[in-house]
Amino acid sequence: MAKKSVWSDNRFWQRSAAWITGFASVLLIWLTFDTMAQITIGTDSDLKNGVTKRVPGPTVINYKITYEMSSKRGHEVPIIGGNDGQGMSLFQEKEKFFGRDDWSEEEATELLHLGKLGSQVKNCMNCHTLLGNGAYYAPDLTKAWLDPQWGPDGSMQAMTGKNTKEEAMAEFLQNPSKYPTHSRMMPNLGITAEEAKGLVAFLKHMSSIDTNGFPRNFGKIEGAVHGK
Amino acid sequence: MFEPFVDVVPSFFGWLNQGPLTLTIFLHTIIILPMIWIYRQEKKRIEHEEN
Amino acid sequence: MANNHLTGIGSESKELATWYFTFAAILFGAQLLFGLVAAIQYVMPGFLFEVLDFSVARMLHINALVVWMVFAMFGAVYWLLPDETGIETVGIKIGKLLFWVFAAAIVVVVLVYLFIQVGSADEMSIWFIHEGREYIEAPRWADLGIVVVALGFVANLFLTGMKGKQTGIVTVLMADMIAFAGLYLCGMFFTDNISMDQYWWWWVIHLWVEATWEVYVGALAAYGLITMLGAHRKVVEMWLWIEVTMLFGSGILGMGHHYFWIGTPEYWWEIGALFSALEPLPLVAMFIHVLYDWGKTQGEQDAQGLEVSVIRNKPAFTWFVLNAFGNFLGAGIWGFFHTLPQVNLYTHGTQFTSAHGHLAFFGAYATILIGMMYIAIQGTNGIKVMNHTRSSIWSVSLLTGGMMGMTVALTVAGYVQVLVSRAQMGATWAGYFDGQSGMWFAQAMDWRLLMGVVMFLGFALLAKDFLTTGKNPVHQR
Repeated sequence: MAKKSVWSDNRFWQRSAAWITGFASVLLIWLTFDTMAQITIGTDSDLKNGVTKRVPGPTVINYKITYEMSSKRGHEVPIIGGNDGQGMSLFQEKEKFFGRDDWSEEEATELLHLGKLGSQVKNCMNCHTLLGNGAYYAPDLTKAWLDPQWGPDGSMQAMTGKNTKEEAMAEFLQNPSKYPTHSRMMPNLGITAEEAKGLVAFLKHMSSIDTNGFPRNFGKIEGAVHGK
Repeated sequence: MFEPFVDVVPSFFGWLNQGPLTLTIFLHTIIILPMIWIYRQEKKRIEHEEN
Repeated sequence: MANNHLTGIGSESKELATWYFTFAAILFGAQLLFGLVAAIQYVMPGFLFEVLDFSVARMLHINALVVWMVFAMFGAVYWLLPDETGIETVGIKIGKLLFWVFAAAIVVVVLVYLFIQVGSADEMSIWFIHEGREYIEAPRWADLGIVVVALGFVANLFLTGMKGKQTGIVTVLMADMIAFAGLYLCGMFFTDNISMDQYWWWWVIHLWVEATWEVYVGALAAYGLITMLGAHRKVVEMWLWIEVTMLFGSGILGMGHHYFWIGTPEYWWEIGALFSALEPLPLVAMFIHVLYDWGKTQGEQDAQGLEVSVIRNKPAFTWFVLNAFGNFLGAGIWGFFHTLPQVNLYTHGTQFTSAHGHLAFFGAYATILIGMMYIAIQGTNGIKVMNHTRSSIWSVSLLTGGMMGMTVALTVAGYVQVLVSRAQMGATWAGYFDGQSGMWFAQAMDWRLLMGVVMFLGFALLAKDFLTTGKNPVHQR
């Protein structure tokens, strides 16, 4: 009689299933510890001491943020406070946020907290994508802070009658249906002035997160957009 | 021999990530290899039961 | 009552299962309804603007989806437990009480979503309105309620499994359901750090739909093959263990494909790409398994000279076969399309994901759960061989055809987004709207809406069939 094969043996597969599931779970937990350490939010002293964090501290709102190609990483990275020419942040050049570039760690944390809460309560994610996750009914917000639309050459500052990016954004968030930019409009969500400030801080902070080069070529191809 | 480390923070897994496939081949190998041991044990058991 | 596969009469566990199935079917209808609202808004943006905005319609659409599936999953376990363990489910009274708690909580949550919609940016809104995190928006009070209900369910399952006969299917379900319930805890906290937020959020979403739910489907398919075809338990359970090995082996670390762009380290590119690239393999295995067992059992019977089908429940089996194929196609193929980071860099956050999401949830979960509902109808009506009716055939065709059409339409829309908004214009606001106003995108959205209507008609016929087929004389009693 032919010998019974291990390959068709239930116990072999049961034990294999237990081993593989257990080991994959242990690996995932190990990887999680490693990743947690890397994505923990930074501090004000990290920024002051020039320490690059994947998720910088809330006081990053005091700095100028750009999104530039890093030859070392092979993709775009957020550059905070100026580029050293090699694709690394200098953490020097400041940028006023609602008229100030000296937001303390406490104030900035509070603002970010309000903004993050607001982003959930106002249900941003069920129209927009954040870090690419969410719904696809409205633009991705990952690097919204850096969108040329809100910059000095974009149309939003003139439309809202404001002179700075953050004020234009805050004004739009409070009265979205007053400034229709597309037939698909953003509804009025009852966002207060303070909440809008928090949300803009949240957006600015999000644009400083190192997303491994997502989205690619963000805001680089203005000519194609405006030159149609 | 080794690729220079490029990610923001050096780490064990980042170091294993030497280029396409190195990290994942390593992980797959350590996941699959012990199945050989399970296979041998079960083979022995089945032979034992058949006799 | 060891072998009452085909009858649910007299079992309280099975009675409870039918409650769960009924509520699930109603929520399925609600899901399609709010999906239609959202689909109309893509075509006519002014539709219900500032009355029932897209964000609210979509939240209801995806929450109804998750909840009806969880209800049907609980129901299916309560249905199969007496058959598998040979005893009545332990603690069924508590199970029944928890059903009402769960159902009432869902109704309150839906009413709040519908009529309150948004609050002010404070913790109170997170506790009592919604948490604004895709798929698990349920407010925190409801989160706690869900944990209690899930614990009760898991306790029922464990106590019954330990007291009665512990088959391979029950063993897999016990391990799987405790993970399923436990993972929900990962999605219950608030953090200011969006990267951290999304990291743990995926522990719930991914480890549900790409690991624990898939294993659950494997167990359900195994049960279905045994009850509907009389397939050999030993063979079926061997396949089940192989599936568990492959599903968890690829699915757990396959989670890395969600960690490409959310602020997490670059090494996830490799882990996510290669482990998730293997995720379709078990789905192929499941498909082969179902067809193999079908052919084998039928062949054995044919060899005895009996010219009848071995299938004891035709509509349910149709849905089970569609599950085997749909899981492979929707979760496997459509998932693999965009799982490599080089591709995902451009497809992440586009209608591509939406196409995959629609076909995967339908193919992998909706199908088999509808199949389980048919098994329950057969059981509660004491039917020996359940046949197709005109509406069961039409409903399965319209639902499946509508879903395929919708998936193709969304895939086309996704291509436009990837090429125009992403590759060509670099993902800005202006780039986004240029992509959205392209002709291919706009037409794809028209087709999607049309196919959504087709699905809704299919659902109406399905509901009609559920309500009437039990008394239909076409079945053998």
